[in-house]
Amino acid sequence: MQREVVLTGIGGQGVQLAAKTLAMAATAEGRQVMMSSHYGGEMRGGQTEASIIVSDDRLRPVPILESTWSAYVMHHRYWPGVAARLRPGGLAVVNSSVTGDELTAEGAEVVPVAAGDIAAGLGSPMAAGFVLLGAYVSVAGLARLESLVDAMKELVPPYRTQHLAINEAALRAGAQAGTEAGAARAGSEVGR
Amino acid sequence: MTARLLQGSDAVARSAIEAGCRFFAGYPMLPFTDLLESMARLMPAVDGVCMNAESEIEAVNMALGAGAAGARAATGSCGQGIALMQEAIAEAALNEVPFVVFNMARGQQDYFQATRGGGWGDYRTLCLAPKDVSEAVEHTQLLFHLADRYRAPVMMYGDYLISHTYMSVEVERRDYGPRPAKDWALDGRRGGTGRSRQIWTWAMGKANDPGPGPDRHWQRIAEKFDDMGRVESRWEAERCDDAETVVVSFGTAAAFVEQVVAELREDGLRVGAFRPVSLWPFPEAALAEACASASQVLVFEVNAGQMIDDVRLSIGRRIPVRPLGRVSIDFSGMRQGEILTVPWIRDRVRAAVKEVAVK
Repeated sequence: MQREVVLTGIGGQGVQLAAKTLAMAATAEGRQVMMSSHYGGEMRGGQTEASIIVSDDRLRPVPILESTWSAYVMHHRYWPGVAARLRPGGLAVVNSSVTGDELTAEGAEVVPVAAGDIAAGLGSPMAAGFVLLGAYVSVAGLARLESLVDAMKELVPPYRTQHLAINEAALRAGAQAGTEAGAARAGSEVGR
Repeated sequence: MTARLLQGSDAVARSAIEAGCRFFAGYPMLPFTDLLESMARLMPAVDGVCMNAESEIEAVNMALGAGAAGARAATGSCGQGIALMQEAIAEAALNEVPFVVFNMARGQQDYFQATRGGGWGDYRTLCLAPKDVSEAVEHTQLLFHLADRYRAPVMMYGDYLISHTYMSVEVERRDYGPRPAKDWALDGRRGGTGRSRQIWTWAMGKANDPGPGPDRHWQRIAEKFDDMGRVESRWEAERCDDAETVVVSFGTAAAFVEQVVAELREDGLRVGAFRPVSLWPFPEAALAEACASASQVLVFEVNAGQMIDDVRLSIGRRIPVRPLGRVSIDFSGMRQGEILTVPWIRDRVRAAVKEVAVK
């Protein structure tokens, strides 16, 4: 079983960190993982995208995806390019605090999660990317929440340890919100 | 050992250190920079040295110096920086100093540079082109082994997708048997004895200890490269046995071609994929054999047509050889552009197969 996720947003939203966290968590669970990133020279505001392939067995390694089973959407600016690659029957978990409820994808399910508002409620709007990541895995699978928490702790550099607690809270709050948003839908067998 | 998620550059750096590399020098230039940064992070822990040189010319000559002193040494850049390194690579080939050059190229337009070289003299550079990160990890250790075995500079042809893609990989030390003794190394132990060693491209020797001179020295080196050409070619052939169309590609592009071939086979098309793993020596005989039942050969490379020369040299005029790729670079100038996708390749291979069927 092979599943793909494309993560999209604008530079500064933590999309690349979320991608690395998910890829590292899935690797720690013993799966084959490939992750590639595309972003411009800008640190903030530009296009940022990552794609991850997770497989239970040998990976066919093509790092540029023709299509994807799922999407993680922090911002709608580059959504059309992602929506076009989303396969029918797939799913997109979107940060509705920014995108609103207007995003649609033909044949695929869109699961809105107010990641920005939830992160603000926790006192750290910066952690919205982790809220959406927690929501994504509760809906889509690919990795367990506890593996995400461990991977996040490994990825955060020593000079940023003050964010560990809030990041963990964000992942857990996101998972809760994802479950409430209807986790029973098109979940992946890969992550179960 | 369990797999870890590593960026390609980091995985290659760790593999080089497992291979015993203890000297690395480079000058930043994407997509090579990440390898230099990983080396800078990792070398101190193993008492190795990583130098951020002032230029590519300085970096390659540092590697040459470290290699001459007996260290397992390496350098690297992308094609633009490797252009500057050509003189030192040629000198090292002719004065027999082993080191590894990691070419994290900006696409596939440096095939000629990698396989023909731009230095002077009769020399060759063994060059491996991995198709993904896990193969790059394997090639890294093999390259250090081959460099020492043949006392020659060798090269990896990587790219942005090798350097920047993260993959779950295991970096383990590979066993290639005992390392050859470096009884030629300029390690300083004979200083002041009057019997100091010499490494010299022209092999003239000293007044009291004359060398073989350039004629005999270079003939022997030419014979060495002939020997390497005979035994060191590497390749991968998939579904070529009954293939009417064989698609030849190298490096990361080959992973896309393999997927295209797998999909077209499911549609009943008799296509196969052939990949030279070593760009030099080019696996000429293996390619000719893989194309035994083919009525056409397609060459997919993301450039104006470079490897196609080697394909034609391998199979002659027996079967038509057609180019499938073209120049294609993305907005950053660092990655292959729009043609490096499964649909782009699949559509064109399918069309070419149908065209032949109509005839």
